[in-house]
Amino acid sequence: MIDGFLLGLIAMASIIAGIFFLKFWRDTRDSFFLSFGASFVIEGLNRSAVLFTDKPNEGSPWTYLIRLLSFLLILIAILRKNYSNN
Amino acid sequence: MTDEERTRNDVDRFLQEKIDTVPHLEALLLAWNSRPRAWSAEEMANRLFLSADDTRAILNDLVGEALIAKAAGIPESYLYEEEASRSELLANVDLIYRRELIRVTRLIHSRPSASVRAFARAFRLRKESD
Amino acid sequence: MAPAVYILGTLICLCSAVLLLRAYRQVRRRLLLWSGLCFVGLTISNALVFVDLVIFPDIDLYRFRLVAAAVAMLLLLYGLIWESE
Repeated sequence: MIDGFLLGLIAMASIIAGIFFLKFWRDTRDSFFLSFGASFVIEGLNRSAVLFTDKPNEGSPWTYLIRLLSFLLILIAILRKNYSNN
Repeated sequence: MTDEERTRNDVDRFLQEKIDTVPHLEALLLAWNSRPRAWSAEEMANRLFLSADDTRAILNDLVGEALIAKAAGIPESYLYEEEASRSELLANVDLIYRRELIRVTRLIHSRPSASVRAFARAFRLRKESD
Repeated sequence: MAPAVYILGTLICLCSAVLLLRAYRQVRRRLLLWSGLCFVGLTISNALVFVDLVIFPDIDLYRFRLVAAAVAMLLLLYGLIWESE
């Protein structure tokens, strides 16, 4: 019950934070914020999906893979900030 | 990308990252075009048609961005901070501001908040590429 | 596979936290403080997953992981809502 509440809270907060970053992307046209926004929205949806699995504690391989994707998006954002020459 | 597009991109990025308002840009370009002359806040205020207090705030913002420096030995006066790697960029900023006044003004007005820009800039590791 | 993902995640979050807090010290924009603290929380949450799954498989740290992530995300939302203008 408490775990479900926390999970829902994290999911909701991640999606809202992601939307903020996407808005910053629109304002700045800096693709850094696109990666950040996508990362948080994807992670929020991922957490929401976990809410509906039988054993949220264990998580399925998909949970890890999608989380990996969201981490990689942040990593890509940081690397592009430092190694792009435009 | 042609050279001209690249130049305009560099200028736009500089404006979005470093310049808060049009008076900030005008103060910077005044110092740049008159370099290495030092200006008191009052002198610059007269040239920019601003109050001395507003001008002081603007100059201090530019000092924070390392575009303007406080003049050594003369109290309350400021000059363009010489930086060889930036000279070409500033010459282009000056040129494009005069040629594309309306576009540049709009760009500065539509800029995202300083906090948001600081967020993106936090992830840049090398100081000199700022 | 899962432990590797969380080690990577821990490192990325730690790196983000350090960069944001370092920038906060320089420019004092509070958005950077809240988002830096958010990444500290996410670092802890990811590190706890690794501890939970690999080091102490028989102790369940699931709720601590969730609390760390929830606090982290609320700090970030606070910063985004009040400090991004």
